[in-house]
Amino acid sequence: MTAPQSFDPAVFRTEPPTLLAVRCPECGVTSFPRRELCPYCTAELVEVEATPLSPQGVVYSYTVVRQAPEGVATPYVLAYVDLPEEELRLLSRLVGFGDMTPDLIGSPVRLVTAPMDDPEDDRLRYAFEATAQGASA
Amino acid sequence: MRRVHVVGAGMHRFGKFPPQVTLEVLGAHAATAAMADAGVAPADIDAVYVGHVFGGPVAGQRIAMRVGLSGKPISNHENYCSSGATALREAWIAVGAGICDVALVVGVEKMTDRIKGGVRPDPGDLDAAMGFIFAAGHALSARRYMRDHGASREEIAMVAVKNHAHSVHNPYAQYQKPISLEQVVNARPIADPLGLYDCSPISDGAAAVVIASAEGMRRLSLTGPAPAVAACGLVSGTVLRGLGDINEEDVSARAGQAAYTFAGIGPEDIDVVEMHDCFTIAEIVRLEGLGLLPRGEGARLTMAGHTSLGGPLPVNPSGGLLSRGHPVGATGTAQICELYWQLTGRAGGRQVENARAGLAYCKGGSVSGTDGASVTTVIMTA
Ligand SMILES: [Zn+2]
Repeated sequence: MTAPQSFDPAVFRTEPPTLLAVRCPECGVTSFPRRELCPYCTAELVEVEATPLSPQGVVYSYTVVRQAPEGVATPYVLAYVDLPEEELRLLSRLVGFGDMTPDLIGSPVRLVTAPMDDPEDDRLRYAFEATAQGASA
Repeated sequence: MRRVHVVGAGMHRFGKFPPQVTLEVLGAHAATAAMADAGVAPADIDAVYVGHVFGGPVAGQRIAMRVGLSGKPISNHENYCSSGATALREAWIAVGAGICDVALVVGVEKMTDRIKGGVRPDPGDLDAAMGFIFAAGHALSARRYMRDHGASREEIAMVAVKNHAHSVHNPYAQYQKPISLEQVVNARPIADPLGLYDCSPISDGAAAVVIASAEGMRRLSLTGPAPAVAACGLVSGTVLRGLGDINEEDVSARAGQAAYTFAGIGPEDIDVVEMHDCFTIAEIVRLEGLGLLPRGEGARLTMAGHTSLGGPLPVNPSGGLLSRGHPVGATGTAQICELYWQLTGRAGGRQVENARAGLAYCKGGSVSGTDGASVTTVIMTA
């Protein structure tokens, strides 16, 4: 049996779950997802090796989506997750929060794999889930 | 640059229409109404600028041939929700530069038979792959605004209550009924904390204006009140970096500055605003970004009636996108129709007393990793 595939190997590695960014050798800014040109200084990044991002983040804001376009099961939780180490904010699903607590802003979260919307699609994408306060993976 | 004036406006009522009411029917109706209002014939029009998103290739030419405008220079303009305003800006540049004297600007969209479940960004975008929809983006903004500024759900919902109250007086609005705060807060949830009435609807419609230089007005013997288009700002979003405030609205601040600088007036001079309230929270943070309300105060001031008709700064006397409806390509020109009626004293029961300067704002589209795609700011003066 082969390992489950990432929905986008250029962006996400499944084992262990890792987001792939690119750090500009010219200006030092980390971009996610990776780009051909640095959006800050336009340096060429095609040949630059991918940089793994920290799997630990903090919820900056979140919403429970209850109506979505066809083919996307609802409800689901979307959040801006801040990675303080890289000073990077990214949009992601949040999983494992069960019944939503009144306010998740500031909650520590860590990167995990998650299934696609289409149950026929056995690739994996990324999400963040709650970590116990203060614990580290 | 030469001074450019709005000399006529016309709309097709916004709403949900059956398939036989096509994009071409809607656009032709608005174009004809605007030309009639201006008192000009198709032969008097030098060029046609059409804004739309979902109309397909050369929709402008399909509309023009129905109303006697074929053969003219016709161009189609797409900037998502700011398409209509972008078409106006291109026409304003051409008339201002002396390329032509009289131009027709049409914004049009037929959405109800094309779009289901809310518009979303380009599907290749990583955010789209995560399930991003525009409502979710604004919900993330609302949640953070509430946390940072202590705003209540009710204060944000009040934007919808206010704009629906205004729409009662607008015969072109999709909805012309007041709604209560309880209805907004208790509506079907879409993306928490936002519910159905926090979101602008999917709509069909068209709106058009005729603009002219002083030479064009003389040539056509137009003597009626003709407010000036004092500025048309256009900016695009910049790449976000770091962990700043998502409600900073730098893109709105830059768009506002572009218009204020060109027009030579400031936010304190604006008497009436047509704001892109695609979602309730968006009206609040964009007004703050434009410098029209102090940062963090917008929700509270909305609840206090500051932005209601009769208040110090009426916002969306037309009912805004929430009640007038939001046929995306038509919204920008509908705002210009409304400012034209306001500045010429023809806005009926929704008239803002002594309105001398108005500002219209549109924001169109999103690009992952940036704070927007296109923002337009139009300032008109009586
Ligand atoms: Zn760089």
